[in-house]
Amino acid sequence: MPETRADNVLMQKVRDGDLAKMAVLFERHHRALFRYFLRLTGNREFSEDLVQDVYFRMLKYRHTYKDGNPFTSWMYQVARNAHIDGMHKRKGESPLLEERMDEPASAEPDPSEILRRRQDLGLLRRALAALPVEKREVLVLSRYQNLKYDQIADILACDVGTVKVRVYRAIKALSQIFFVLAGEKAS
Amino acid sequence: MTCDQVKEHIADYLAGSLSRTEAEELDEHFARCAACQQEAAALSQTWEMLGLLEQEQPSAQLRPRFYASLEAYRQGLESAAPAPRQRRFFDFGAYGWAAALLAVGVLAGIGMDQWLGGGTRSRSELAGLQDEVHHMRQLVTLSLLEQQSASERLRGVDYAYRVDQSDTQVLSALLHAVNHDPSVNVRLAAVDALRKFASNPSVKGTLDRSLVKQDSPMVQLALIDFIVDTRDKDAIPSLTALERSSTADKNVKEKAIWGLSQLQ
Repeated sequence: MPETRADNVLMQKVRDGDLAKMAVLFERHHRALFRYFLRLTGNREFSEDLVQDVYFRMLKYRHTYKDGNPFTSWMYQVARNAHIDGMHKRKGESPLLEERMDEPASAEPDPSEILRRRQDLGLLRRALAALPVEKREVLVLSRYQNLKYDQIADILACDVGTVKVRVYRAIKALSQIFFVLAGEKAS
Repeated sequence: MTCDQVKEHIADYLAGSLSRTEAEELDEHFARCAACQQEAAALSQTWEMLGLLEQEQPSAQLRPRFYASLEAYRQGLESAAPAPRQRRFFDFGAYGWAAALLAVGVLAGIGMDQWLGGGTRSRSELAGLQDEVHHMRQLVTLSLLEQQSASERLRGVDYAYRVDQSDTQVLSALLHAVNHDPSVNVRLAAVDALRKFASNPSVKGTLDRSLVKQDSPMVQLALIDFIVDTRDKDAIPSLTALERSSTADKNVKEKAIWGLSQLQ
């Protein structure tokens, strides 16, 4: 059985009262969810709270899961809501992305390729953090979560064409920020 | 293909999901349009770099937290609506094991006492040990409920299921959580945990008043379920107020109408 269909069947069982099956869904998806939240928020502890939140919501609202609904899309819809509510609650607290903003250990010029790559990745993290959240989200969903554009369209409740345009705009904005940061670094 | 059409295909180009025809058309365009070709190359480079960012792992605490919550949730449902027990295939979680070990310790202590001629020991000593276990559970619950992290407070709510229903300190901490916790999830979990304390008259009254004050529709829906399940007719004025409110969420108003129909 393909994994996605297996997920759908597992969630149907959870909905029908076999709550222990949620443990299987946790084992399959909690790392991906954690990374999704970490890329969005940059905060490990907050991301783990959000993962807990998603599974709690899926248990609590399991009766809203409908037969034939792709589980992954439903889970990310729950995750998006958890993220929005979580951010709302944290409004006014210390800024996010504090853990992703760290620079490579040394800022001294170094001829080695490894250090250059580390510096580039450090800049890329900063560029990603500087991106507006809606752009960062579409990039995270398309680049890291192993989702196809039609699945992302389901999650974001829009058509596939809109998702593709958003991906184009997001990666372009990211590239621009990256090159600006790289220019600042070089000058 | 025009330059605008190229932009529409960039996402598929990056993900490698272009059809053969589209890929050929794109290549043809790149051969005669240096600007599009350079842009696609730059975006592709950024896209590839994104793939090099390390894949972070969650901490080792996430898994036991989840299993403890799942177990507590399941136990909460069972205590709310007794049903045939299902086979468990997951662990208790760290706190479950701690409580189990504590119970084993208490039983071992009692057994050792009796083996050493403890039959003469008074019942008050046994009661003292039981009090100690209860006191420890109470301390763990109250301390977790005061933590800054919502995950920790959720664990505190989970732990409240292991405390006697007569424990007024845990009861008031749960009621406080329903009314004041910043996390909707903690509030929802606390509403569920309070089912265990439903026979205490202060629970119904506090939750009735909480219903109209809550800012989260999800918590309001959970409170209406609680009110209907406990047949709390004193909550009819609160439900009526919610039904007539101009600011209440549409789903909450519908649920309030349903709640009133169930109670009247």
